[in-house]
Amino acid sequence: MHKIESNNVNFYYGENHALRDISLSMKENTVTALIGPSGCGKSTYLRLLNRMNDLIDGTKMTGNIAIDGVDIYAKNTNVDNLRKNVGMVFQKPNPFPKTIFENVAYGLRVNGITDKNEIEERVITTIEQVALWDEVKDKLKKSAFELSGGQQQRLCIARALAIKPSILLMDEPTSALDPISTSKIEELIYELKNKYTIVIVTHNMQQAGRVSDTTAFFYMGELIEYDKTKTIFTKPAIKQTEDYITGRFG
Amino acid sequence: MASHLETELGKLRMIIIKIGSLAESQVAEAVKAVLSEPVLESKEVKKTENKIDKLDVKIDDICQSVFALQQPVASDLRFIISAMQISREIERIGDLSMSIIKLTKSIKEKHELISKFEIADIVRGVEDITIQTNACFQNMDETAIEEIFKLNRDIKSKSSDAIDNIISEMKSNSKTVGSGTSLIIALKHFERIADHSTNVAESVYFMINAKTIKHEKFSDKK
Repeated sequence: MHKIESNNVNFYYGENHALRDISLSMKENTVTALIGPSGCGKSTYLRLLNRMNDLIDGTKMTGNIAIDGVDIYAKNTNVDNLRKNVGMVFQKPNPFPKTIFENVAYGLRVNGITDKNEIEERVITTIEQVALWDEVKDKLKKSAFELSGGQQQRLCIARALAIKPSILLMDEPTSALDPISTSKIEELIYELKNKYTIVIVTHNMQQAGRVSDTTAFFYMGELIEYDKTKTIFTKPAIKQTEDYITGRFG
Repeated sequence: MASHLETELGKLRMIIIKIGSLAESQVAEAVKAVLSEPVLESKEVKKTENKIDKLDVKIDDICQSVFALQQPVASDLRFIISAMQISREIERIGDLSMSIIKLTKSIKEKHELISKFEIADIVRGVEDITIQTNACFQNMDETAIEEIFKLNRDIKSKSSDAIDNIISEMKSNSKTVGSGTSLIIALKHFERIADHSTNVAESVYFMINAKTIKHEKFSDKK
């Protein structure tokens, strides 16, 4: 059984048919990159995986998406629980206006964890997990805004991981970062896949190559090709994919 | 924490060291075969040859992946380019060693010709150059490169003299034509092995200095 399975997914923003018959399966503990030009539907598809698109008025989705074999669009789905299980990191680092410690602890408290020791332990563990501990251990009480962009983004990843999701969605997580911070996040993604299933939207094809196991190429709402990243980047089956990754598109 | 690229490059480095040492052992067998010393069973030699071929393919595969997925630059880029070249040179060294081992079986007056024309000195020199080249890669030691080039020149010169002498011997004693011809071919193969080893050293130089020194004399290189 695949960790994530989508079958014949269609999605509409009002009249705009944004995704067309997307069928895509992702294995557990893998990184899947979604690539394609702007407006191709990759971010829309990503947001379907934790039902973030539900928050947009006038949208409609058909088809089926299952996580661990359970239809996440079934009527009895608890969306809060779904979003705990499917964490998300956004393009720009968006820490809360709180201390570094509180940024990670906040989600735990909101989820009903009150034991101070447990909170502290999980905050430290997750900050260590994102390779940020050495950089922030002496300033946990300082504002998260004092951190660099790259550190803020790793803190946001720690915040997402603290509530123990099994899937992590990343929407262009490094597009606002410098090359060194980007490289740290990429290495982190590579490490995290041992514990999580990761889906990343990226405009940077080289990044897709560096971090992912499988790559899906979207174009105008359609899934053009989905294969192992090595295959996509060395011998794609579809000419459109080849044209896109070699920069000869359009 | 080593980066994913560093891990791949480390893996590649270990495979090159491995393929280099396998080729080194094949050259040693070829030397023994020429000098009529006891050699490994041909099954074993063939097995090593197959291992070399498989590693050569594996190196190409890793290099292709790193190029396509990791976009190496600077020293990483030079390492990957060199790895592909080195692998090709080493694979050829393996092939030539196999050819020598097969060829020497048919040389009848081997011992007589070899001792007469100091062939042992030449082939031991070739064995030595492969050992030095592997060490040069392993230690990224550019100071060893000059010595490797010097060894190659010596081998070429001695081999050329030996071949002239074998041809003279064949002219004066027609019974030696068959063996002499095979020995000349074997010597040419050894010369090529020394050339391939020197090419490996050139790749190491490129890796370290980002400067191509192919087709130049070492003294013109720096």
